[in-house]
Amino acid sequence: MANDAEVRLSIPASPEFLRLARLAAAGLASRMGFTYDEVEDLRIAIDELCFSLVGNGGRPGTIVLRYWMQDDGLAVEGVGQFDDGMGTSPALSPLSQQILKAVVDEHELTIGKDGPEFRLLKRHVNG
Amino acid sequence: MSEDERDQLRRKFEAYAENREPRVRDELVTAHLGLAEYLARRFANRGEPLDDLVQVASVGLLKAVDRFDPGRGLEFSTYATPTIVGELKRHFRDKGWAVRVPRRVQELHLRLGKVVSTLAQDLGRSPTIGEIAERAGASEEEVLEAMEAGRAYRFASLDAPAAGDDDNQSMASQLGEDDPLLAGIEHRVALSPLIAELPRREQLILHLRFFEGLTQSEIAGRLGISQMHVSRLLARSLAKLRGSAEED
Repeated sequence: MANDAEVRLSIPASPEFLRLARLAAAGLASRMGFTYDEVEDLRIAIDELCFSLVGNGGRPGTIVLRYWMQDDGLAVEGVGQFDDGMGTSPALSPLSQQILKAVVDEHELTIGKDGPEFRLLKRHVNG
Repeated sequence: MSEDERDQLRRKFEAYAENREPRVRDELVTAHLGLAEYLARRFANRGEPLDDLVQVASVGLLKAVDRFDPGRGLEFSTYATPTIVGELKRHFRDKGWAVRVPRRVQELHLRLGKVVSTLAQDLGRSPTIGEIAERAGASEEEVLEAMEAGRAYRFASLDAPAAGDDDNQSMASQLGEDDPLLAGIEHRVALSPLIAELPRREQLILHLRFFEGLTQSEIAGRLGISQMHVSRLLARSLAKLRGSAEED
């Protein structure tokens, strides 16, 4: 397996496309030998963070996802590029924080130059 | 059913119509569970676990018991059948696969729960996707699709409490004085008041996963349900918390 292999995915910023973001993450995690539990965690995290970008109803625009298969685990970045402007600055609810803390090793949600963006890292224990 | 038993039931229905005693209602429901199960089986090949369908049918049965008017001279089973079938049909309409999931993947999804728990037991840890695929005789992609299929339920239906979620009795009896759910509830409700509105079982799973840090397999073992079920309930709770949060 190539180290630090990168995969990119661009999806419309609405909930019905999030399954592709989850599937891509799950597919890469599976290649890296993640367990069922870990894959489930990852899917929850992707959902939580993507929803924090687009909300429940979606937004006009796209989310560009980048996945890195690193030595220590899978890193994912999602950048929202929205046609309706930057909107309010994104924030994770305390509950989302708690959820993310339980399912991934690192996460953050920030404002980048194109729009809100998130990053997460799910370590692979048996890596 | 003998003529005697039939008579006895008829009298019970009459009594219940009068007094609305929960105890009599329970007896009437129990006496007709066979009918609910029989009807549920007729829907069993549509990609939903039979257990879930029996739950749905039981809800229909309960409604039928409540609405049945013994004075009208109808047999209860004649009266109840359309009500139960209606409940089952509504279940499929409301909870139908929103994304068209191929039958093969649906079947794998249903099988996966067992495969994952058996493997987890054999290995003493959560299995990898590769291990699951091998055991299930499927490709890794198919396994991932099947995991995803658990979420292919329509979002709109998530607000309604699903059948099978009211079965908190066994859960309640498992929870003793130091119910972890009660211990942390103020804390969690402070994070999101919506948590308090989730069915009790979903609250418990949420608590164990995100606040106690148990894995899905550990929760499955602790509650005696399949890991797939834990996964489904978690996904549903989170979607509900999100969905309602948006309305604020």
